[in-house]
Amino acid sequence: MILRHITTQNFRNLGDAETAFHPQTNILVGRNGQGKTNLLEAIYFLATTKSFRTSRIASLFRFGASNVFVSGALERADLEKNLSVGLGVPPPVGAPEARTTPGQRRVLMINGEKVTLAAYLNAMSVFAYSAARLEVIRGTPEERRRFLDRGAASVNAAYLEQFARYMRALKQRNALLADIAMNRQSAASLDAWDNELREAAAPVHRARAAYANDLGEAFAQIVKRHGYHIAALEMHYRPNALEDKRREEIRARMTLSGPQRDLVEFVLEGRPASEVLSGGEQKMIVLFLKFAKLELFRRRHDDAPLFLLDDIDAELDLEILHDLLTKLPVATQLFATSAKEAFLDALTTGPHRRLTFENGRVTAARDFA
Amino acid sequence: MTAPPLANLINELTKLPGVGGKSAARLAYHILKRPTVEAEALAAAILDVKSKIFRCSICNNMTDVEPCALCSDPRRDPSLLCVVEEAFNIQTIEQTRDFKGQYHVLLGALSPLKGIGPQDIDVAGLVRRVQNSNVHEVIIATNPNVEGEATALYIAQQLKPLSVRTTRLAFGLPVGGDLEYADQVTMSKALEGRREI
Ligand SMILES: [Zn+2]
Repeated sequence: MILRHITTQNFRNLGDAETAFHPQTNILVGRNGQGKTNLLEAIYFLATTKSFRTSRIASLFRFGASNVFVSGALERADLEKNLSVGLGVPPPVGAPEARTTPGQRRVLMINGEKVTLAAYLNAMSVFAYSAARLEVIRGTPEERRRFLDRGAASVNAAYLEQFARYMRALKQRNALLADIAMNRQSAASLDAWDNELREAAAPVHRARAAYANDLGEAFAQIVKRHGYHIAALEMHYRPNALEDKRREEIRARMTLSGPQRDLVEFVLEGRPASEVLSGGEQKMIVLFLKFAKLELFRRRHDDAPLFLLDDIDAELDLEILHDLLTKLPVATQLFATSAKEAFLDALTTGPHRRLTFENGRVTAARDFA
Repeated sequence: MTAPPLANLINELTKLPGVGGKSAARLAYHILKRPTVEAEALAAAILDVKSKIFRCSICNNMTDVEPCALCSDPRRDPSLLCVVEEAFNIQTIEQTRDFKGQYHVLLGALSPLKGIGPQDIDVAGLVRRVQNSNVHEVIIATNPNVEGEATALYIAQQLKPLSVRTTRLAFGLPVGGDLEYADQVTMSKALEGRREI
């Protein structure tokens, strides 16, 4: 799929403007803070309604703006579709730390018609790699689960719904546990919810296990193919099976087992990867993982997703990066940023467009054959 | 500035489900433009529905006669009961014309998050009906979402000691869906393929 152009309104520091893209490679350059990463983020937002940099959606609104809007023309299988995401929750004045509730006033449209989130997310696929984001290795268990969930969703259209169903059942059961703890309901009323929780957990466990297995294999192959020196890294998925812990759970007022406690671990010779690997090595591992995810996506779909590369820096092995990129399907549209243009040389061997950013605006766009 | 009576009407209309500020204003201006008799008819219909419609004492359906038209129809099979969450779900099933039994409206589904427990929905009335009349099968047609499934299971548990056949609609609907949006074909299939629970 190819993003022909994108338009943003009130998106961070970007000027309200339309930006047209090259069908193959787009190089975004400019000093820090000029808006190049914001534009990558806008592309990601258009595809996912989320940010790859923050969970605080309010930070996407330009200061003082009460809405944010991004639209774009996506070409897929010779059809052009217009996608748009509008969010209308104003950041409360004087309370910049207040969280907006994403989805509260979110309007998703395809070709001018409102669509559901599930339908919207199926329209456009994007993979983002940011050398500044190493949560998969360093982050919380929740962030690693999210990494696995996003991957599972990219190859399994039903997964998001299955996951949402489990989380809904979990919330309901936790609310009931609190009621029971306060003697407002009997412990026997858990029966119906336990059954629902079990039925909802099974597909989540199955999908996560299948994806973790495939990803581990694809990852090992890629690392081996490139002769990277850290070949012994293992990814472990440890599902947390539902157990009967009612008495403890009523005391804790929450469910103590199940997919919300699954673990994803990266281990090198028995030790957590975050403790053993250097910063540069971690960046490379995350990069390999991203390409493994792309590979799984490609096996599942006929189409290539958009690929965003943010913040390419000196710690990455640029030779391997170049090699990885040349092995992507030709149709993969690429968007890359770096503070130092030299790091992008690996990407500019073929036809591309160079977009220069200043003050949130594209001040120059040049095509190279 | 909008004149206070007009602002008042717009404000009342925004309280309706699915009506935002813009639609409310459009409706209000429309009402204003139309002849007075139309506005009177609308106002009367709204008041009528509040004064003349009540819940059937047998099945909880909305009715203006006691018992409701469905409960008193001699052609309908009283040994077959279909359990739904809300009265408007009856219409979805009636559209199929495949179901010839009677209904029981629960008036909701279990949802601890909303503070709705078993005592807040009419399972007791259902159990009484099954105990006191000759019911052979209870078809549970709660929504195919988390709350509807848990409610279905709860009902099945309550009916178990009564040794009545209990079935659940076999949904070809996407999980997480809503009965309201089921088309006739899907609904017919769901009825046809119901399974024991
Ligand atoms: Zn009735």
